[in-house]
Amino acid sequence: MKQSYAYYPGCLASLSQKELDVSTRAIAAKLGMELIDIPGFTCCGAGDVHEARPEYYLHLNARILGQAEQLEQDTLLTICNVCTLNLRQADLRLKGDPELLERVNANLRDVGAAPYAGGVEVRHLLWEIAEGEGYERLKAIAEKPLVGVRIAPFYGCQILRPSKLLGFEDPDRPQSLERIIEACGAEPVDYPSKIKCCGFPIVLAREEVALGELIQPLAEARDAGADAMVTPCPLCHLSLDAWQSKAAREADMDFGMPIFHLAQLVGAAAGLSYDELLFKRHVTKTHPATDKIYAQG
Amino acid sequence: MQFTLKIERWNPETEQGGLDEFTVEAPETATLLDVLDVVKDEVDGSVTYRKSCRMAVCGSCGMRIDGAAALACKTPMAPLAQEGRVPVISPMGNLPVIKDLVVDMDPFWAKFRAVKPWLEEDDQPPVKEWRVQQEELDRIMKEALCIQCGACVSECNSMQSDPEFLGPAALAKAAKFVGDVRDRDRKGRLELYNGPHGVWDCTRCYFCNERCPKGVDPRDAIAKIGAEIYSEGMLSDKAARHAQVFDVSTRATGYLLETALVPYTDPMKALDIKFAMQMARAGKVPNPLRPHRAKKLGEVRKLHKLLKTQEADARAQKRAGVSVDREEAGS
Ligand code: SF4
Ligand code: SF4
Ligand code: SF4
Ligand code: SF4
Ligand code: FES
Repeated sequence: MKQSYAYYPGCLASLSQKELDVSTRAIAAKLGMELIDIPGFTCCGAGDVHEARPEYYLHLNARILGQAEQLEQDTLLTICNVCTLNLRQADLRLKGDPELLERVNANLRDVGAAPYAGGVEVRHLLWEIAEGEGYERLKAIAEKPLVGVRIAPFYGCQILRPSKLLGFEDPDRPQSLERIIEACGAEPVDYPSKIKCCGFPIVLAREEVALGELIQPLAEARDAGADAMVTPCPLCHLSLDAWQSKAAREADMDFGMPIFHLAQLVGAAAGLSYDELLFKRHVTKTHPATDKIYAQG
Repeated sequence: MQFTLKIERWNPETEQGGLDEFTVEAPETATLLDVLDVVKDEVDGSVTYRKSCRMAVCGSCGMRIDGAAALACKTPMAPLAQEGRVPVISPMGNLPVIKDLVVDMDPFWAKFRAVKPWLEEDDQPPVKEWRVQQEELDRIMKEALCIQCGACVSECNSMQSDPEFLGPAALAKAAKFVGDVRDRDRKGRLELYNGPHGVWDCTRCYFCNERCPKGVDPRDAIAKIGAEIYSEGMLSDKAARHAQVFDVSTRATGYLLETALVPYTDPMKALDIKFAMQMARAGKVPNPLRPHRAKKLGEVRKLHKLLKTQEADARAQKRAGVSVDREEAGS
């Protein structure tokens, strides 16, 4: 863990998933992580621009990395799986190819943007608090252990795969979320689909295919007796939370599964209130689980 | 060294299955395939699996080890044993099981054929051989490494949900032909792969890249086709329009224009009032009239424009690089 980070919330957490940004800032203060805003950051382009216009994607992300460097930070902190893969992939490509970096920088200079010298590492909040000093601090701030609360971790894809670009842990047997759930005093619930896809990237263009993917983790987590699920990705969150009722209708099942952002789980254990963590901004009501948490007082 | 493993069995004649555990002796350097051979030779001759080359080139021995598809002949067993794991060996996913670890590859090959894995000619076939520059070959080298083992298909999350999805292996092959300068039917190919069960079915789960034993990176290959489709302005698929919203958003405000995403990708979905109301109640619908704007937006707008030009130039250059001797065709 670092003292300070260039903080990249991404666009979704700045807009509709605002509760994630707010919760992240709240727990960072408790953890002693200084989050320095990147002035003029943009969207990373998600998988969409990455696929449709790979060159533009590369520049868009290089510009963000360059801006982080301008803040004299060596670590850019992300809170979204997709941002993490996008930024890391761009970063590793640029670092591995000086000629490409030079060409990209010439373009950045051309439009008046700061070039990127290759001095930033992209890391997700999950990794910062799942081991080492960050994990110790997490344990220290978890003053309100979530005793008896059963939480199913949902990793999502792009924090695990491709592991050659992400590489924090074994993509088939990840443990970081479980460790964090334990540090928060809750009980991790295991189920097979925790490393699979929620279908989010295609939920608008191929709703049926996406819902087929979404049903699996929701049903398994429910069957395993989870009170709530937790995810490190606001896009996974959006599909698990906002599309949950559609998945339920499609599967003819009832899930009623509260979905927590990683920062909300940590925040609740650190004693932050329901309102401070903006649980009311969820589409699927969090009450069964949050009542259990906040009733403990 | 002693190895213990569990094998998922299926006997199509009796329609009986289940897990059988075996413990055998094999050298420390043994691969999973070596251990299976010992099991078959010494313990139970009815254990059924495919193999041929034993050196990760034929693509026969794809199977799952604790749920993760890999080549048996490329998987060393000692590390698993040392970790104290008793791996469960099961057949690959997304393909029908014939017996024990053997799956029916017919649906796999049908998808291969469906992407037309051959060079198409136009009315001016070259008389002599095509002259391909090394760099043109390099561009499709990765996709050419595929050994058709099916490990990627086994784990494809989209195919699990839509069995008709062409899938990672066939589409990686397709990308090779899209990138092959000798092919004369680029447009037709792109239309084919732009179809209902084509590239846009991919949910970007990246299991294919993770599993592929040959470094083909099928997801990246699919993205290459997507980029070609997008660059041609083929926006008939909802997914291509979805991508366009992201592309245009970065220029318009620097952030994703969330309120444009649904109506532009799929106008019919915009009529899903119930869903919209749910989102609005949770505060998840930003005001479309006052979109959030990134600072220093001018930089991104210029970048957007500059890259458009450079992308077009690069495409023109790539096309000009086709080194077929048309003159020789007539002589
Ligand atoms: S991943 Fe999505 S939400 Fe996050 S910055 Fe990129 S485009 Fe925006
Ligand atoms: S699970 Fe879904 S939203 Fe999350 S990273 Fe994977 S594809 Fe993206
Ligand atoms: S990334 Fe796409 S093609 Fe590859 S396994 Fe996932 S859904 Fe299938
Ligand atoms: S792309 Fe890789 S995993 Fe898929 S069939 Fe080819 S070699 Fe096997
Ligand atoms: S036996 Fe040929 S790839 Fe394993």
